[in-house]
Amino acid sequence: MNKKSTLNRLKIMAKTGGGHFFRQFARIFKYGAIGFGRNIWLSLTATIVTTLTLILLFATIVAGSVLTSTANAMREKIDISIFFESDTTKEDLAKMAETIKKDSNVKSVEYSTSEEEYEKLYQGYKDSDNQSMLTTLGIVGKEMMIQRQPAAMRIKVYNTDDLSSIKNIVNSDEDFIKHLSKKEDPTYNTNSSAIQTISSWADIATKGGTALSILFLVISTLVIFNTIRMAIYSRSEEIYMEKLVGAGNAFIRGPFLVEAMMSGVFAGIISTVLSLIGYFTLSPRLEAYEIQVGNINTFLAEPKNIILLALAAILTGSVITLISARLAIHKYLKHF
Amino acid sequence: MILFDHVTKSYSGDKKPALDNVSLHIEANEFVFLVGKSGAGKSTLIKMITKEEMPDEGKIIIGGIDLDYVKKRHIPHYRRRIGTVFQDFKLLPTRTVYENVAFALEIAGMSNREIERTVPKVLDLVELSDVAYKFPDNISGGQRQRTSIARAVARQPKILIADEPTGNLDVETGQGILDLLEKINDYGTTVLVTTHDANAVNHLKKRVVTLRDGKIVSDQKEHGIYRLDGDNDGFSLPQPGHLHPETYLMRDQRKQPPRRRLIQ
Repeated sequence: MNKKSTLNRLKIMAKTGGGHFFRQFARIFKYGAIGFGRNIWLSLTATIVTTLTLILLFATIVAGSVLTSTANAMREKIDISIFFESDTTKEDLAKMAETIKKDSNVKSVEYSTSEEEYEKLYQGYKDSDNQSMLTTLGIVGKEMMIQRQPAAMRIKVYNTDDLSSIKNIVNSDEDFIKHLSKKEDPTYNTNSSAIQTISSWADIATKGGTALSILFLVISTLVIFNTIRMAIYSRSEEIYMEKLVGAGNAFIRGPFLVEAMMSGVFAGIISTVLSLIGYFTLSPRLEAYEIQVGNINTFLAEPKNIILLALAAILTGSVITLISARLAIHKYLKHF
Repeated sequence: MILFDHVTKSYSGDKKPALDNVSLHIEANEFVFLVGKSGAGKSTLIKMITKEEMPDEGKIIIGGIDLDYVKKRHIPHYRRRIGTVFQDFKLLPTRTVYENVAFALEIAGMSNREIERTVPKVLDLVELSDVAYKFPDNISGGQRQRTSIARAVARQPKILIADEPTGNLDVETGQGILDLLEKINDYGTTVLVTTHDANAVNHLKKRVVTLRDGKIVSDQKEHGIYRLDGDNDGFSLPQPGHLHPETYLMRDQRKQPPRRRLIQ
């Protein structure tokens, strides 16, 4: 009897005492916005810490991407050039290419006859409008040039550190011995030390940056958590009073979450603006050092991508601040 | 309206229980003073009504609601049916008098139009219309307590609990507050006031329940002169044979006391 009647009454209370969802949501938002202004120092601290975290995150992603693409670009430039006598035919070259391709370290093989090499050279001078060289070629004459120009084979490899097997083929295979140029020795142009350096930078930037970003995410969450917790502590009387007057947890927690989310949104916008300014200031200098920023430049050339970037930053910022605030207020709501 | 049936409550670390087998029945529309020195158990009793604390033993029924069955999720709805007034007012310092009162209605989900209609009437009832847009720091102690009362009665609760409402006020202002509580009681609201102020009790001449060391030592329905000191020997101890909770609940549901609307 007691239970049934009590539950009936509570049911009626819950039905009649809730209020319209959107109306309550608007009120929570209003109190959150008022709180953001009222606790401006807390809001500023949370915004600054989140902004720094997001900028670091952006820098990590950019550095990782730039260094990886630079290392890849350099890897693409690496090749082994083997030169052959000018009378080496296309068929000879194809046969030797088949032989060298059997080596597991070989990624790709390109080859060209003397004539094709000459055409490439000529086209190159023409494209770059190098008149003096074109004049020289004209004076020497095409036939003469083709005779002087060795046929070439360019080999790209997977592992630049160990070329012994390829060298072995070049030095011991009959066809190679027969056709190798006597004037020009093969070049093993690997730049492997430079590539290794850049590769390890890319690795450091990706791994270290990710670790650093995670560390910063944790630190900023803790800083924001503690700042909000202090603010909540100073307002615990208010929370207590609100609970006694009959405010539900959502109504009490809501404004704090809105406040925190506003910090996250502002941090997202500010960090995007600052990161882009920083990037566009630095990227021409990086390009001067042959650091590949093309991918990012292409990405940022699209306005919609900048909006996406800003949205991602806002979302990340909001998640950081919301988690912090949620953790901070949980204890107080549980307590009362 | 309020029933405590053999309620006992102990706090860990305390040798004596804060409330020791307390039985108390307050009828609808009654005005009751709960008196006793500090540590007598008044605040614990109030905290049980607001469901901040739960008894170790015994049963509490408030306004027909058995608190044993009030789950955590029900508490906000339950508390909205009880008006609470505190000694230290517990007002929101950054909100005006008007906003403090409106807050109680906002959390209950009342529409803005209803709030705009109700708050001025409540402020008029507690005679605070002229300070409606002032902040709590800029008004007197008596006005702050009136604001606290206005907030408590804005939703027209059936029960009003006032914990030492005159504790921070001078005698004259305190009497003004008590008169206001009596006025609210006249409209049909059950009022329970805790105090250790003899002046307050003697001013209104209502039922006085005395707590000492967690026990009810006197339940004086016919008012005498209450003395703060002394042993209160003039008061009779509560009579045995309280109503059983089941009986109370049924009776409470049937019996609707004459009640006028506090705010029209």
